[in-house]
Amino acid sequence: MTEFKLPELGENVHQGDLVRLMISPGTTVAEGQAVMELETDKAVVEVPSSVSGTVKDVLVKLGEKIKVGQVIFTVENGAGGKRVEARAPSAPTAKSEPKPATTAPKTAPSEANPVQSASPKATTPAPIVPSESSEVSEFKLPELGENIHQGDLVRLMISPGAQVSEGQPVMELETDKAVVEVPSSLSGIVKDVLVSQGEQIKVGQLIFTLEPGATSQTHTQQPSRAEESHDHARMAFQAAIQSEGKTEEQALPPDQPPAAAVATFSMPLHLDRAAGAENRGPVPAAPHVRRLARELGIDIHNVPGNGPGGRISEADVKMYAKSVIVAVASGTGPGATHLKQPALPDFGKWGKIERVSMRGVRRKTAEHMWEAWSAIPHVTQQDKADITELEQLRTKFGPKAAEAGGKMTVTAIALKVCASALKIFPQFNASIDMEKEEIVYKQFINIGVAVDTDRGLLVPVIRDVEKKNIVELAAELTGLSKKARDKKLSPADMEGGTFTITNLGGIGGTGFSPIVNYPEVAILGLSRSSMEPVWMNGKFEARMVLPLSLSYDHRLIDGADAARFLRWIAEAFEQPFLLSVQG
Amino acid sequence: MTEALQQNIAVVGGGPGGYAAAFLAADLGMKVTLIDREQNPGGVCLYRGCIPSKALLHVAKLIGESRHANNWGIEFGDPRIDVARLRSFKEGVVNKLTGGLGQIAKARKVQYIRGDASFENSNTVRIAKNAGGEDSLTFDRIILATGSRPAVVPSLKLDSQRMLDSTSALDLKDVPDTLLVIGGGYIGLELGTVYAALGSKVSVVEMTGGLLPGADRDLVLPLYKQLEKVFDAILLNTTVTAVKEEASGIRVCFDGKDVKEREKVFDKVLVSVGRKPNSEIPGLDRTQVRVGERGFIQVNKHLQTDDPAIYAIGDVVGEPMLAHKASHEGRTAAEHIAGHKVAFEPNAIPAVVFTDPEIAWTGLTETQAEKDGREIKVAKFPWAASGRAMTVDRTEGLTKLILDPGTERVLGVGIVGAGAGELIAEGTLAIEMAALAKDIALTIHPHPTLSETVMQSAEVFFGTSTDLYRPRR
Repeated sequence: MTEFKLPELGENVHQGDLVRLMISPGTTVAEGQAVMELETDKAVVEVPSSVSGTVKDVLVKLGEKIKVGQVIFTVENGAGGKRVEARAPSAPTAKSEPKPATTAPKTAPSEANPVQSASPKATTPAPIVPSESSEVSEFKLPELGENIHQGDLVRLMISPGAQVSEGQPVMELETDKAVVEVPSSLSGIVKDVLVSQGEQIKVGQLIFTLEPGATSQTHTQQPSRAEESHDHARMAFQAAIQSEGKTEEQALPPDQPPAAAVATFSMPLHLDRAAGAENRGPVPAAPHVRRLARELGIDIHNVPGNGPGGRISEADVKMYAKSVIVAVASGTGPGATHLKQPALPDFGKWGKIERVSMRGVRRKTAEHMWEAWSAIPHVTQQDKADITELEQLRTKFGPKAAEAGGKMTVTAIALKVCASALKIFPQFNASIDMEKEEIVYKQFINIGVAVDTDRGLLVPVIRDVEKKNIVELAAELTGLSKKARDKKLSPADMEGGTFTITNLGGIGGTGFSPIVNYPEVAILGLSRSSMEPVWMNGKFEARMVLPLSLSYDHRLIDGADAARFLRWIAEAFEQPFLLSVQG
Repeated sequence: MTEALQQNIAVVGGGPGGYAAAFLAADLGMKVTLIDREQNPGGVCLYRGCIPSKALLHVAKLIGESRHANNWGIEFGDPRIDVARLRSFKEGVVNKLTGGLGQIAKARKVQYIRGDASFENSNTVRIAKNAGGEDSLTFDRIILATGSRPAVVPSLKLDSQRMLDSTSALDLKDVPDTLLVIGGGYIGLELGTVYAALGSKVSVVEMTGGLLPGADRDLVLPLYKQLEKVFDAILLNTTVTAVKEEASGIRVCFDGKDVKEREKVFDKVLVSVGRKPNSEIPGLDRTQVRVGERGFIQVNKHLQTDDPAIYAIGDVVGEPMLAHKASHEGRTAAEHIAGHKVAFEPNAIPAVVFTDPEIAWTGLTETQAEKDGREIKVAKFPWAASGRAMTVDRTEGLTKLILDPGTERVLGVGIVGAGAGELIAEGTLAIEMAALAKDIALTIHPHPTLSETVMQSAEVFFGTSTDLYRPRR
């Protein structure tokens, strides 16, 4: 004789009310057959038998409270009684017809039994592995850094059939900030490569597909890795770009088509190549759709196709055009510089022209300036600072800065001056969130310094300026400028600025209107200081005067505030003592 | 468009590219001058190429079929061939077509000048008129559509009536007893087929290891088998080292690993070793036009040369040297001059070899995919399973689709078999419209036709062809 006891129903479920009994003495039960319904405080569950045989005695009654382990019935000629507990967890799923039973598996294990619900999570990856490893996995361009959405593929290091392991660099991407090696986050054998050299690649774009290769042990971790892969790739990326920017030097110089090819190929053909238009397969769009795209000035290859096999319809082209226009109107999006501009005349009518693809820093600068100029109502406030005394100090403390590896420049001093000013005038260290109608005050002072490099304008950022002294700032600025010119800046070096300084004094000029570095709200321009006659102590004296130009976002900053802010800066230059008193 | 803004353009060369450009330019409101040596527009294609060769090939096919009819219990006697009347049939076709084009040019108010053009500068053309005298005319834009001519190999250069090129072969002066065709490309095979049908013993010599280099081998094979029967000999991997005229004909010396007979005498020798672009236009150096490798004029995708005033289209800008490519380019150039945003960016250009059986392909070929290392899937439907092919007793054909393995999109179509040239158009449309294999399989094709084989090959891809059992993929 075998006893059937109420099996474990789940963590914290110790008992239930018997709401339905499906057996009586003499009934033949088989293993897995539902024998009763129990109402716990979580759900109504069907309890299947773990034994087989003919029911002899039923020891419970309808409506009775039954505890786990309590004997329910006994069977003759039975078997399997010992397996009661082992089979219990599968109880609710054994049968499916009554309603309570179907709800039970959903609620009972997950809510009532954390241990059980945790354990499937821990074990499910194992059964998934076989299917996972027989499937093709995809490598998409991971997040590369803040505000980096795309890059030009300057070097592809893989081809179909190549073995790739995790962390191995697979391509070099020229972003507007740096050239970086992108490592794979997956291992396996490359199946299809979906990008080609010269192409512009966006974050999230499919780069290649992988078949599980010989090194498939990494696949056992894949389910959990899927979530991590982005972070992982990003970290690997950051590590890669910090490794002394070696890749930057290997990369093609931007804005410069390979000169050797010009001689042998026709120029127009060649320029098409420079624009990355070569080696693209036939686009899945009907001829009239391609024509429409051409007429709208859209590169059909950029239009996402919603039809079968990625087929691009007329509607897809129009939708894309609309999205570009919307992006332009709101001052964002990659097309911002392209569509709003009125059509160009045919310059070829007046003589020979050359078209060169706008890449990297130049393209980013164009987009960014357009955004800033379109979004910000600019005003530029001019002032002058008498830096005669400061110049003496600068010469005096020059060697100290040199000792620390820096150069005591006016820009270095301006960093300190501005940091102090920003503490006193926090609205200059802020951003506007028009969408939420809020002002974002930043409680850190990171100042970007515009650096003129042969690749174009770069703005490395010096962090926590208010916490550093002038000698430290001079050293850091010298280091960053060198890094910028040596093409070794990482994207992280150019992120997070709250204010910008641009110094054109080394070249000349008496004043200019800098463009605010969006989403910042102000920028200070320095021009060339010169000796000027200044009326003081009842006569004209020859003084060294530094012209200052402050452009600001008039949405947030009023003219009077700007005048005060700039005056404070001018006075700080004039009386460095002010820094130690107020700054 | 106001009169003041009306563009004045010249098209140099009246072939299918040139007259298509000229006519569309006129339709778009431009003032057009078309310059060509011939009496009417038409060019090589109409006068000395596609059209006359097709008239003759039609006759060859008829002769072939009349012999084939023996298999079905119908016997014709040997054909009696009146070469003069055949020639005048061919010339009648040519004259009708070219004369028609002349009238269309007039109707469109295209000024047609017979003569040779040379450049004085980027915008000025000097025309040495056939009728005598010279004109110097200035244009806003000039389209070069000067075409190509048969290539000449120095070692095969021999001034003799017995040496033919495609032009003189089409003149059909007589039917030689023996003819050697040098070059196993489409021109040599088409003309060889004509002469073989008319009674010549034709031998073909090809330098490479197969006929129609570049075409997929599975498409060439059925043709090869047929030509083996029709031709006297097909000499592959063989080069001609010398030709010498003798009293009885041309003595030809062969070299190559498979050569058995080192020398042989032929009544006539047809040299068809390719075509050369006509880019040696006098005065072109006074413009900024650049001529690149192999003599092709360099153009961008708008068919514009490096000289902003000058466009170029057709054979003179590159392969494939096909009339339908030229006319599409011509129309693109005309539209671009009119200020439309157009580009020559076809997804597929069909090619047809009008032999018997015909071979046709469009878009990507297997050969090209292999060269590019591109992964493809191929679905083939052999005509042995086609009811229609059986009824015409031509089951040697094959239809295949070249598909993208991921999207199952049709990237290329290849067909060999009777009438393949007419069937390929559907393939080109499928590629241009980005059709998937499923689209073709689900499109009802008329029964019983050979066009069904296109649908059936798509069904084969899915392993569900009604007429051909293949285990599922």
